[in-house]
Amino acid sequence: MGNVDEDTPAPRRRPYDLTLPTPPDALRRGPLREGTFSSRLHDPRTAVVLGRWLGAALLTCFLTGLFSHLVQDPPPWLADRLPSRPAIGYQVTQGLHVISGIAAIPLLGAKLWTVYPKLFEWPPVRSVLHALERLGIAVLVGAMLLELFTGLFNTLQWYPWPFPFRQTHFWLGWLATGGLLLHVAAKAPLIGQHWRRPRPGLAQRRAFLTAVGASVAAVTVTTAGQSVPWLRALDLLAPRRPGLGPQGLPVNRTAAQAGTAAAPADWRLRVDGPQPYELTMDQLLAMPQHEADLPIACVEGWSASARWSGVRVADLLARAGAPASARLRVTSLEADGPYRVMDMPATYARDPLTLLALRVNGEVLAPDHGYPARIIAPNRPGVLQTKWVARMEAL
Amino acid sequence: MARTPRPPRLPRLLRLLTAVGGLALTAYGLHGLLNDHYITAPLDIVEWAVGGLILHDGLWVPVVCAVGALRVRGPVLRGWLIVAATLTAVGLPAALRAGTDSGNPTLLPLPYLRNLLLVLAVTGVVAALWAGTAALLRRRRTGHR
Repeated sequence: MGNVDEDTPAPRRRPYDLTLPTPPDALRRGPLREGTFSSRLHDPRTAVVLGRWLGAALLTCFLTGLFSHLVQDPPPWLADRLPSRPAIGYQVTQGLHVISGIAAIPLLGAKLWTVYPKLFEWPPVRSVLHALERLGIAVLVGAMLLELFTGLFNTLQWYPWPFPFRQTHFWLGWLATGGLLLHVAAKAPLIGQHWRRPRPGLAQRRAFLTAVGASVAAVTVTTAGQSVPWLRALDLLAPRRPGLGPQGLPVNRTAAQAGTAAAPADWRLRVDGPQPYELTMDQLLAMPQHEADLPIACVEGWSASARWSGVRVADLLARAGAPASARLRVTSLEADGPYRVMDMPATYARDPLTLLALRVNGEVLAPDHGYPARIIAPNRPGVLQTKWVARMEAL
Repeated sequence: MARTPRPPRLPRLLRLLTAVGGLALTAYGLHGLLNDHYITAPLDIVEWAVGGLILHDGLWVPVVCAVGALRVRGPVLRGWLIVAATLTAVGLPAALRAGTDSGNPTLLPLPYLRNLLLVLAVTGVVAALWAGTAALLRRRRTGHR
């Protein structure tokens, strides 16, 4: 038998496990030899400390991502229970999603470096259970690497891979989190043993963990400004800078990209319901105008607040004779696009902050922000703040 | 401090529940990945995941280990290299992509290469000051004794 690592307790014999033979020692070459990795930081205590940080980041990513998914695509039983407040809810959760995802990049790197020698442990597989555990770790690491890579590149709207981003990122999130739970369960005794700081501490480890913490801090302060207002001045590496864009707001999809650069001269808003009607821009402007300070909060993590003004969606629906429990379907002027038609649960549609906005920051909407009219609602992802509205329908 | 604290042990039940939960989430994710209508070729995803593993474990970590084996001097320089690698991992894709015309001027509106080099330089200066201060304090302490 090969030597057992001093930090790894000798595996207990399990009646349901099947021991596998050790390959001949002649095959133990290259990094498989003992003593290849000399750093004292390839130890369980370092792995436990980094694992706690990484686990917290991954769980934050998973929960905020799940929330985002449910808000974007709610199952029928949930749709009318989604709260429209707090108004900045989605801005916070999605900002946190991207912040914790970016923080996970150095944490995953450091964690994988720490446990790298385990990749070359000898014998490569001791038993069937051990083989399954190693396979599980491969799935976990593969899913995590691809998850962070696709997430980061999505914030750049850069898609070099052949599969769809949103669905893949969603399902890989389940795989990564499931893999994490299995990993924690498998390593529970080892984690328990090294949960507390050993005395005396290791200066080398302190230096390493400080450097990893500094990396998280550096990458956070230079990117988080895309969603955290007081860090905006330090937003140097993030793909968006709130404040940069037409009327001081970034744009996810431009009017040119959507084919709506010029609104039709005879544009009218059509509202369907028990008493359908149409309104010209002048008639809309003659209705009571309301103001709301609301953020555009994009799924890609950036967000920017603005003062919107226009007609309350609830007023428009009431005028069509729709009950307060009515849901809303909004159709855009765009010819195509996955968000051309948007459904809004009743909780949002009757919220007084939800507007059919005609102006932003005191100016008529720029084409890139949805001229002639756009939806702006509290606690909603940006892609559901439909621009270039042509039709509203009470359901 | 004669008594060392007993390491806390996760109760068996909690461990079992974690494992069952992990299996359930994994199965759900796998099922979703294989049956999602938008994902027509799940093998593409496997290819990219395995490719990522190979690039990371077969290329990137060996390079890191090789740099470490060069006996990079001092914990501060090592620390700065970790910070620099992180900033590059996050900032370089933006710098590479910034030149592409996406048709949306609000996407990647900043001079990313300049910003990345700037942040690397600033963190480098901070690291140098840190190392300098530490050396000074050490010398003063030994001088007093």
